[in-house]
This record gives sequence, C-alpha cells and structure tokens, in this order.
Amino acid sequence: MISLARKYVAFGKAAWSNMLEYRAQILLWMTGSLLMIVMLMVWLGIAADQATVGGFSAVDFTLYYMLGLVVRNMTAVWASWELDTQIREGTLSPQLLRPINPIHNHIAANWVEKIIRLAVTVPIAAFVIALTPGAKIDLSLGALAAVAAALLGAWAVAFFVDYLIGLTAFWTTQTSAFIMGFYGLRIVLSGTAAPMQLFPAEFQAALTALPFRYMLSFPLEIALNKLSPEQILSGLLIQWAWVAAFVFAVAIVWRLAIRSYSAVGA
Amino acid sequence: MRYLRLMGLFLKSSLLVELEYRVNFLAQGFLGVLYAGVSIASILLFFSQSNRLGGWTLDEALIIVGLFTIFDGLMECIVLPNIKRLVENIRNGAFDFTLLKPINSQFLSTLRYARLHGLTDMAVGAVVIITAVGRIGYRPNLADLFGFGLTFGMACLIIYSIQLAMATTAFWFVKVDNFTEAFRAVYDTARFPVSAFRGGLRIALTFVAPIAFMTTVPAQAVLGRLDAGLVLGSLGFGLGLFAASAALWRYAIRSYSSASS
Repeated sequence: MISLARKYVAFGKAAWSNMLEYRAQILLWMTGSLLMIVMLMVWLGIAADQATVGGFSAVDFTLYYMLGLVVRNMTAVWASWELDTQIREGTLSPQLLRPINPIHNHIAANWVEKIIRLAVTVPIAAFVIALTPGAKIDLSLGALAAVAAALLGAWAVAFFVDYLIGLTAFWTTQTSAFIMGFYGLRIVLSGTAAPMQLFPAEFQAALTALPFRYMLSFPLEIALNKLSPEQILSGLLIQWAWVAAFVFAVAIVWRLAIRSYSAVGA
Repeated sequence: MRYLRLMGLFLKSSLLVELEYRVNFLAQGFLGVLYAGVSIASILLFFSQSNRLGGWTLDEALIIVGLFTIFDGLMECIVLPNIKRLVENIRNGAFDFTLLKPINSQFLSTLRYARLHGLTDMAVGAVVIITAVGRIGYRPNLADLFGFGLTFGMACLIIYSIQLAMATTAFWFVKVDNFTEAFRAVYDTARFPVSAFRGGLRIALTFVAPIAFMTTVPAQAVLGRLDAGLVLGSLGFGLGLFAASAALWRYAIRSYSSASS
C-alpha cells in the first residue's frame, strides 16, 4: 500500500511537470466547458418569461450550471485518447515492462490535472453564485457527505468508462469514433443539455438506470436539494454498482488485451 | 476554369483516399448522424418546457439546427483537414512545395483535401431543414430562396475566413490546432437562434463573433424575414472577413522563411 502511494507520488510529480510545460493547452481543452455556460444562458432566457421552468427557477439554473461547471471538470477524463495513441503507435510496450499496471499512471495524471481545472473553475463558479441574489447552498451534514460520495462516484464512473473505451484500441482503429460518440450521448443524457428533472416523465426510469446521470447530474441534484433521502440512497447504490461493474470490466478486458497484444512498430 | 478543373482533381483524389478507409468512413458518417441527433434532442428539451425559444417556434428553430449541422459537416469535410495539413507543413517545412507550385498558394492550402464523410452531416442537415420548412405553413418564394442562397454563401465565407485567419497564425506560433478547438466552443452557440441569448452576449454573437450571420440569418431568409440591414450585414461580414483573411495570408507568406534545413 505504501509502495503504491509512493508510486502515485512519482507519477503525479512527472505529470505535474509535464502539465506545466503544456499549461496553455489545458486551458484550451477546458473550452469544452463553455457549453455549460451556453446552456445556462439559453435556460435563463426561457426562465425570464416564466416564473419556474419545470420546478427550476432562474436561481436554480445558475446554481445547477455553475456547480455543474466544477463537476464537469472534476470528471473530465482523456485517458482513452492517450491509450488509443499508445496502443496504435506501440509506445505502450515500455510501460508494460514496468512492474505496475499503466492505469495507475493515468489515474495519477488525471488527479494532478484536476488541480489546474479546479483552480480555474471554482473561483468562476463561486464568483457567479456570490453575485446571484438568492443563490445559496444549504445542506445538512448528511447531504454534504452524500455529495462527496456522489462526486467521487461520478469521477470513478467517468474514468473507468473512458478507460474501457480506450482499451478497444487493442482490437480496432476506430476508438476515437467511440470516444466522440460516447461524448455526444453524454451531453444529452448526463444533464449538460438540461437538468434530468426537465426530461419528459417517460424517460425518467431509463435515465435513472443508465450510467450517464451518475457522471454529472446526480451530485448536482443532491446539492440543489432536489432529491429525497431515499432517492439519494438508491442513487448512490446504483452509482457505485456501475463503478464496480466498470472496474470489473476494465480488469477483464485488460487481461484479454495484453494476452493478445503484439506491439505495433517496435 | 483551370481552378475548377483542379477542384475536380482534388475531389477525385480525396474520394480515392476515402475509399481506402471504408470502416472509418462509415464510423464517421454514423457519428455525424449521432451529433445531429444530439442537437435536435437538446432543442426538443427546451421546447418541452416552453413553446418559444427567443421568439422562434420549434420548427423554425429546427431550420437553425439543420444549418448548424450542415456547417459542421462543411468544416469536417474541407476546413479542418486542410488546416491540419497546413499547420503541419509549416512546422516541418513542407510548405515550401506548396509555394513552388504554379497555383495560388491560398487556394492550394485551403481546398486541397476533402474528407467526404462530412457529406453525411450535410445530408442530415438538409433533410432536417426540408422537413422543418415542410411543417411550417410559410412557403418561401423566389426572393426568399435567393436571399437564402446569398446569406448561406456569405456564412460559408465567414467560416472559411475565420478558420483561414486562425491557421495563418501558424506562421508565427507553432501550436495553433488548438485555436480551432476554441472556435468550436464559440460555434456551439450557433445551434440556437441568436435571440435565445440576452443582452451583451447576443450583441457579441452578432457583431464580435458573427455567429448570428452563420445560422440565424439564413434561417430568417427561408422564413421571409430578411431585411436590408441583415443582407448588408451578411455581405459586409462575409466579404470583409474574406478580404481581411486573404490580406493576412499574403502578409504571412511574405514573412515565411522555411522551417527545414
């Protein structure tokens, strides 16, 4: 355990210096987050004509999308792109010789990148929320703990799904199409285009069961006091069941993959 | 005339390349359809809560979604592949060979490659527009269609010019592929009528980043809501940005000193 922690520190340090080299690039990757702000603007336009839109007031929308901006950056993962390149170009081979699964390197790098993403988005969100009259986050200690668990779960679902998609590069050259396709579905189904509550009733059951909601919307729903304690509990159960399922799938697929892998290039 | 013949040759060679990678073609075509679905789904979500979006009805807003999808395909098809090559060529010095050829260097650098899977987006966009117009009572007359052709052409010119200007900065900065990423983020606002945004943002999307003239104005043309001011604005932005980006290109070429050797 201690030796794994030391390896994480080493990976993290390497990722940190690598990131400082390319800091402008990370800021540009974050422009994808602008979609949250665009959606907020459109919803605010609609909320200006009506008092509440499906139970959401203008203040609710601001809170939802500003907290959403932070959560989206906390759950941003790009490991699949790297895996795809490493597998296709054969640069994965030296990593396989090391006595540690490369996934740990990806996790460490992902956490380190969060520092920059949060350093940018948290002040923006805090500033906008502070300037919005009537916007405040009022949570009990229990709800706060639930938010924390849901946030960690959101990161884990997003990371392991992404990693699983990245692993398809062992068998196909179309991994980038899978990544983009999944990203497109995520915009609609995880709560970027609209909060889950505003979807028509007949979709709610499917949205609750699918993993998308648990990558963005779920922690926000708890933070905005939109869920009952029972809903929070069942949500956490579904979320962590997905986490377990994806971790298991990644482990299995990884074993199959390295057994059949014959490096490219060399 | 000669340039038209060259365009034909370029298209033919691009088609041959594309046929080599059929699975990729299918996968990308499928992605185009999926993303059109994403745009339509997000518009439908707004209309499940309100029957107007910035004063536009659902069918009217779908015309904008269709245009957004067409331009998406156009960028995917022509603009992005050429810019990617151009930036690469400038970085490794292969741009010398572009300059040596007896054709206009801007023409060769920006229209040489086409990735034809972008055509699926364009086809889906066209279907969306035709369906939406069919559901609206208004029948566009000849003048409307002419106005649409004009503003649509200008919108293409605006997109081309902005991307060309961003690519041209590659002569001075090394990493510019990211500018296209940033443009993408702003372009995302084009899937909604510009009137859906309020205050300063609407003004910025009309006059600073002319997003309004890409999708909202051509859609207004189809609906017979074009006025002289919009036509002038469209012509001004289209021709003005084209002239400015071409001037920037000529200036950049003059200061180009190869990267190789």
